[in-house]
Amino acid sequence: MPEPRPVAGSAPEGQQPRPTASGPGRVLVAVYAVFALAATSRAAFQLATDFSRAPLAYLLSTFSAVVYIVATVALASRGSRARRVALTACSVELAGVLVIGTASLLAPQDFPKATVWSGYGSGYGFVPLVLPVIGLWWLRRTARTPREAAANGAARGSRRG
Amino acid sequence: MHTGLVAAVVTVALLAAVSGVVVALRNRAPGDVTLVLAALGALLSVVQSVAAFVDLAQGRRPPETATYIGYLIGIVVVLPLAIVWALAERTRWSGLVVAVGGLTVAIMTARLVMLSRGASA
Repeated sequence: MPEPRPVAGSAPEGQQPRPTASGPGRVLVAVYAVFALAATSRAAFQLATDFSRAPLAYLLSTFSAVVYIVATVALASRGSRARRVALTACSVELAGVLVIGTASLLAPQDFPKATVWSGYGSGYGFVPLVLPVIGLWWLRRTARTPREAAANGAARGSRRG
Repeated sequence: MHTGLVAAVVTVALLAAVSGVVVALRNRAPGDVTLVLAALGALLSVVQSVAAFVDLAQGRRPPETATYIGYLIGIVVVLPLAIVWALAERTRWSGLVVAVGGLTVAIMTARLVMLSRGASA
Protein backbone atom coordinates (compact mmCIF):
# COMPACT_ATOMS: atom_id res chain seq x y z
CA MET A 1 0.00 0.00 0.00
CA PRO A 2 1.75 3.18 -1.13
CA GLU A 3 1.76 5.81 1.55
CA PRO A 4 0.72 9.20 0.15
CA ARG A 5 3.55 11.64 0.68
CA PRO A 6 3.27 15.39 0.73
CA VAL A 7 4.30 16.83 -2.61
CA ALA A 8 7.78 18.32 -2.37
CA GLY A 9 7.62 22.09 -2.26
CA SER A 10 3.85 22.27 -1.75
CA ALA A 11 4.33 23.54 1.77
CA PRO A 12 7.49 23.99 3.76
CA GLU A 13 8.32 21.01 5.90
CA GLY A 14 7.72 21.89 9.52
CA GLN A 15 4.60 23.96 8.91
CA GLN A 16 2.28 21.03 8.21
CA PRO A 17 0.57 19.38 11.17
CA ARG A 18 1.91 15.90 11.69
CA PRO A 19 -0.25 13.09 10.23
CA THR A 20 -2.40 11.48 12.92
CA ALA A 21 -1.75 7.97 11.56
CA SER A 22 2.01 8.03 11.92
CA GLY A 23 4.28 6.80 14.71
CA PRO A 24 2.32 6.06 17.89
CA GLY A 25 -0.80 7.16 16.01
CA ARG A 26 -0.70 3.86 14.14
CA VAL A 27 -1.34 2.01 17.39
CA LEU A 28 -4.18 4.41 18.22
CA VAL A 29 -5.78 3.78 14.82
CA ALA A 30 -5.40 0.03 15.38
CA VAL A 31 -7.19 0.20 18.74
CA TYR A 32 -9.94 2.35 17.20
CA ALA A 33 -10.30 -0.22 14.40
CA VAL A 34 -10.71 -2.96 17.02
CA PHE A 35 -13.56 -1.07 18.64
CA ALA A 36 -15.11 -0.28 15.29
CA LEU A 37 -15.05 -4.00 14.60
CA ALA A 38 -16.27 -5.04 18.06
CA ALA A 39 -19.16 -2.57 18.01
CA THR A 40 -20.07 -3.47 14.43
CA SER A 41 -19.96 -7.20 15.18
CA ARG A 42 -22.32 -6.62 18.08
CA ALA A 43 -24.66 -4.33 16.24
CA ALA A 44 -25.04 -5.85 12.81
CA PHE A 45 -26.50 -9.20 13.74
CA GLN A 46 -28.35 -7.94 16.79
CA LEU A 47 -30.18 -5.47 14.56
CA ALA A 48 -30.83 -8.11 11.94
CA THR A 49 -32.29 -10.74 14.22
CA ASP A 50 -33.22 -9.52 17.70
CA PHE A 51 -34.10 -5.88 17.18
CA SER A 52 -37.43 -6.03 19.00
CA ARG A 53 -35.86 -7.49 22.15
CA ALA A 54 -33.94 -4.34 23.10
CA PRO A 55 -34.30 -1.64 20.46
CA LEU A 56 -32.67 1.14 22.50
CA ALA A 57 -29.58 -0.87 23.35
CA TYR A 58 -29.20 -2.13 19.80
CA LEU A 59 -29.64 1.32 18.30
CA LEU A 60 -26.98 2.62 20.68
CA SER A 61 -24.69 -0.24 19.67
CA THR A 62 -25.18 0.75 16.05
CA PHE A 63 -24.57 4.42 16.82
CA SER A 64 -21.35 3.63 18.68
CA ALA A 65 -20.27 1.39 15.81
CA VAL A 66 -20.72 4.27 13.35
CA VAL A 67 -18.82 6.68 15.61
CA TYR A 68 -15.91 4.24 15.94
CA ILE A 69 -15.80 3.61 12.18
CA VAL A 70 -15.80 7.35 11.41
CA ALA A 71 -13.10 8.00 14.03
CA THR A 72 -10.93 5.15 12.71
CA VAL A 73 -11.11 6.30 9.08
CA ALA A 74 -10.60 9.97 9.99
CA LEU A 75 -7.61 9.28 12.24
CA ALA A 76 -6.10 7.07 9.53
CA SER A 77 -6.47 9.84 6.91
CA ARG A 78 -4.49 12.99 6.27
CA GLY A 79 -5.62 16.56 5.88
CA SER A 80 -7.43 19.23 7.83
CA ARG A 81 -10.87 17.91 6.94
CA ALA A 82 -10.06 14.44 8.27
CA ARG A 83 -8.69 16.12 11.39
CA ARG A 84 -11.95 18.01 11.96
CA VAL A 85 -13.99 14.84 11.43
CA ALA A 86 -11.76 12.95 13.86
CA LEU A 87 -12.12 15.72 16.43
CA THR A 88 -15.92 15.58 16.14
CA ALA A 89 -16.02 11.77 16.28
CA CYS A 90 -13.77 11.60 19.36
CA SER A 91 -15.85 14.30 21.09
CA VAL A 92 -19.11 12.50 20.32
CA GLU A 93 -17.51 9.29 21.53
CA LEU A 94 -16.46 10.85 24.83
CA ALA A 95 -19.92 12.39 25.32
CA GLY A 96 -21.49 9.04 24.40
CA VAL A 97 -19.53 6.95 26.86
CA LEU A 98 -20.15 9.49 29.66
CA VAL A 99 -23.90 9.85 28.98
CA ILE A 100 -24.61 6.16 28.30
CA GLY A 101 -22.32 5.08 31.11
CA THR A 102 -24.17 7.31 33.58
CA ALA A 103 -27.60 6.41 32.21
CA SER A 104 -26.87 2.68 32.39
CA LEU A 105 -25.99 3.05 36.07
CA LEU A 106 -28.94 5.30 36.97
CA ALA A 107 -31.58 3.41 34.98
CA PRO A 108 -30.31 -0.14 34.46
CA GLN A 109 -33.84 -1.35 33.62
CA ASP A 110 -33.74 0.71 30.42
CA PHE A 111 -30.52 -1.02 29.35
CA PRO A 112 -31.40 -4.72 29.48
CA LYS A 113 -28.74 -5.48 26.89
CA ALA A 114 -25.22 -4.18 27.26
CA THR A 115 -23.69 -1.78 24.74
CA VAL A 116 -20.03 -0.94 24.31
CA TRP A 117 -20.60 2.19 26.42
CA SER A 118 -22.64 0.63 29.28
CA GLY A 119 -21.02 1.17 32.67
CA TYR A 120 -18.46 3.46 31.05
CA GLY A 121 -17.23 0.54 28.97
CA SER A 122 -16.63 -1.72 31.98
CA GLY A 123 -17.25 -4.77 29.77
CA TYR A 124 -14.26 -3.70 27.68
CA GLY A 125 -11.81 -2.91 30.45
CA PHE A 126 -12.88 0.77 30.44
CA VAL A 127 -10.94 1.22 27.19
CA PRO A 128 -14.00 2.99 25.65
CA LEU A 129 -13.66 5.65 28.37
CA VAL A 130 -9.90 6.13 27.96
CA LEU A 131 -9.77 5.92 24.16
CA PRO A 132 -11.53 9.21 23.28
CA VAL A 133 -9.37 11.07 25.81
CA ILE A 134 -6.22 9.69 24.20
CA GLY A 135 -7.68 10.40 20.76
CA LEU A 136 -8.39 14.04 21.60
CA TRP A 137 -4.98 14.44 23.23
CA TRP A 138 -3.28 12.93 20.18
CA LEU A 139 -5.21 15.22 17.78
CA ARG A 140 -4.16 18.21 19.84
CA ARG A 141 -0.56 17.08 20.00
CA THR A 142 -0.23 16.37 16.29
CA ALA A 143 -2.01 19.62 15.40
CA ARG A 144 1.07 21.52 16.46
CA THR A 145 3.57 21.73 13.66
CA PRO A 146 7.02 20.32 14.38
CA ARG A 147 8.41 23.86 14.54
CA GLU A 148 5.88 24.87 17.18
CA ALA A 149 6.48 21.67 19.08
CA ALA A 150 10.17 22.50 19.13
CA ALA A 151 9.45 26.01 20.39
CA ASN A 152 7.08 24.35 22.89
CA GLY A 153 5.80 25.86 26.11
CA ALA A 154 4.72 29.36 25.19
CA ALA A 155 2.25 28.41 22.48
CA ARG A 156 0.65 25.66 24.55
CA GLY A 157 -3.10 26.08 24.88
CA SER A 158 -3.35 28.94 22.42
CA ARG A 159 -4.07 26.65 19.49
CA ARG A 160 -7.18 24.59 19.06
CA GLY A 161 -6.48 20.85 18.67
CA MET B 1 -16.06 -24.32 20.00
CA HIS B 2 -13.31 -26.91 19.63
CA THR B 3 -11.07 -26.90 22.69
CA GLY B 4 -7.91 -27.80 20.79
CA LEU B 5 -8.49 -25.09 18.20
CA VAL B 6 -9.33 -22.51 20.85
CA ALA B 7 -6.10 -23.32 22.70
CA ALA B 8 -4.11 -23.06 19.48
CA VAL B 9 -5.66 -19.74 18.44
CA VAL B 10 -5.21 -18.14 21.88
CA THR B 11 -1.64 -19.44 22.25
CA VAL B 12 -0.45 -18.29 18.81
CA ALA B 13 -2.29 -14.95 19.03
CA LEU B 14 -0.75 -14.22 22.44
CA LEU B 15 2.70 -15.29 21.21
CA ALA B 16 2.34 -12.87 18.29
CA ALA B 17 1.31 -10.15 20.75
CA VAL B 18 4.28 -10.81 23.06
CA SER B 19 6.62 -10.94 20.09
CA GLY B 20 5.25 -7.60 18.85
CA VAL B 21 5.78 -5.99 22.27
CA VAL B 22 9.33 -7.38 22.46
CA VAL B 23 10.37 -5.95 19.07
CA ALA B 24 8.75 -2.61 20.01
CA LEU B 25 10.73 -2.54 23.28
CA ARG B 26 13.91 -3.27 21.32
CA ASN B 27 13.02 -0.34 19.07
CA ARG B 28 12.85 -2.49 15.95
CA ALA B 29 10.30 -3.06 13.24
CA PRO B 30 8.65 -6.48 13.49
CA GLY B 31 10.63 -9.21 11.75
CA ASP B 32 9.76 -12.63 10.38
CA VAL B 33 9.02 -14.26 13.75
CA THR B 34 6.35 -11.73 14.69
CA LEU B 35 4.82 -11.65 11.22
CA VAL B 36 4.75 -15.44 10.80
CA LEU B 37 3.13 -15.84 14.23
CA ALA B 38 0.54 -13.22 13.30
CA ALA B 39 -0.14 -14.89 9.95
CA LEU B 40 -0.44 -18.29 11.65
CA GLY B 41 -2.86 -16.80 14.17
CA ALA B 42 -4.90 -15.36 11.31
CA LEU B 43 -5.03 -18.75 9.60
CA LEU B 44 -6.00 -20.58 12.80
CA SER B 45 -8.78 -18.11 13.55
CA VAL B 46 -10.23 -18.76 10.08
CA VAL B 47 -10.17 -22.52 10.78
CA GLN B 48 -11.80 -21.89 14.15
CA SER B 49 -14.60 -19.80 12.65
CA VAL B 50 -15.24 -22.31 9.85
CA ALA B 51 -15.43 -25.14 12.40
CA ALA B 52 -17.85 -23.09 14.51
CA PHE B 53 -20.04 -22.38 11.47
CA VAL B 54 -20.13 -26.12 10.70
CA ASP B 55 -21.41 -26.71 14.25
CA LEU B 56 -23.99 -23.96 13.79
CA ALA B 57 -25.16 -25.53 10.55
CA GLN B 58 -25.60 -28.81 12.40
CA GLY B 59 -28.02 -27.13 14.74
CA ARG B 60 -25.94 -26.41 17.85
CA ARG B 61 -26.90 -22.80 18.49
CA PRO B 62 -25.90 -20.75 21.54
CA PRO B 63 -28.57 -18.47 23.04
CA GLU B 64 -26.93 -15.30 21.68
CA THR B 65 -26.55 -16.65 18.18
CA ALA B 66 -26.55 -13.18 16.58
CA THR B 67 -23.62 -11.85 18.63
CA TYR B 68 -21.84 -15.18 18.26
CA ILE B 69 -22.02 -15.03 14.46
CA GLY B 70 -20.91 -11.39 14.49
CA TYR B 71 -17.80 -12.28 16.48
CA LEU B 72 -17.08 -15.36 14.33
CA ILE B 73 -16.94 -13.14 11.24
CA GLY B 74 -15.23 -10.18 12.91
CA ILE B 75 -12.38 -12.20 14.40
CA VAL B 76 -11.01 -13.43 11.05
CA VAL B 77 -10.22 -9.94 9.72
CA VAL B 78 -8.35 -8.70 12.83
CA LEU B 79 -4.88 -10.17 12.29
CA PRO B 80 -4.80 -9.77 8.48
CA LEU B 81 -5.65 -6.07 8.91
CA ALA B 82 -3.09 -5.74 11.72
CA ILE B 83 -0.40 -7.25 9.47
CA VAL B 84 -1.23 -4.90 6.56
CA TRP B 85 -1.35 -1.86 8.87
CA ALA B 86 1.92 -2.87 10.55
CA LEU B 87 3.72 -3.32 7.21
CA ALA B 88 2.48 -0.04 5.72
CA GLU B 89 4.75 1.93 8.06
CA ARG B 90 7.46 -0.26 9.53
CA THR B 91 8.63 1.24 12.79
CA ARG B 92 8.72 0.08 16.39
CA TRP B 93 5.02 0.98 16.55
CA SER B 94 4.26 -1.75 13.99
CA GLY B 95 5.11 -4.30 16.67
CA LEU B 96 2.50 -2.77 18.98
CA VAL B 97 -0.04 -2.84 16.14
CA VAL B 98 0.53 -6.60 15.81
CA ALA B 99 0.28 -6.86 19.61
CA VAL B 100 -3.11 -5.11 19.59
CA GLY B 101 -4.29 -7.54 16.89
CA GLY B 102 -3.04 -10.63 18.75
CA LEU B 103 -4.56 -9.52 22.04
CA THR B 104 -7.86 -8.76 20.33
CA VAL B 105 -8.04 -12.20 18.73
CA ALA B 106 -7.30 -13.86 22.09
CA ILE B 107 -10.00 -11.81 23.84
CA MET B 108 -12.54 -12.36 21.05
CA THR B 109 -11.87 -16.11 21.20
CA ALA B 110 -12.48 -16.07 24.95
CA ARG B 111 -15.77 -14.22 24.32
CA LEU B 112 -16.72 -16.76 21.67
CA VAL B 113 -16.16 -19.58 24.15
CA MET B 114 -18.36 -17.81 26.73
CA LEU B 115 -21.05 -17.20 24.13
CA SER B 116 -20.97 -20.82 22.97
CA ARG B 117 -21.47 -21.92 26.57
CA GLY B 118 -24.54 -19.75 26.87
CA ALA B 119 -23.15 -16.78 28.77
CA SER B 120 -24.44 -13.35 27.81
CA ALA B 121 -21.93 -11.09 26.09
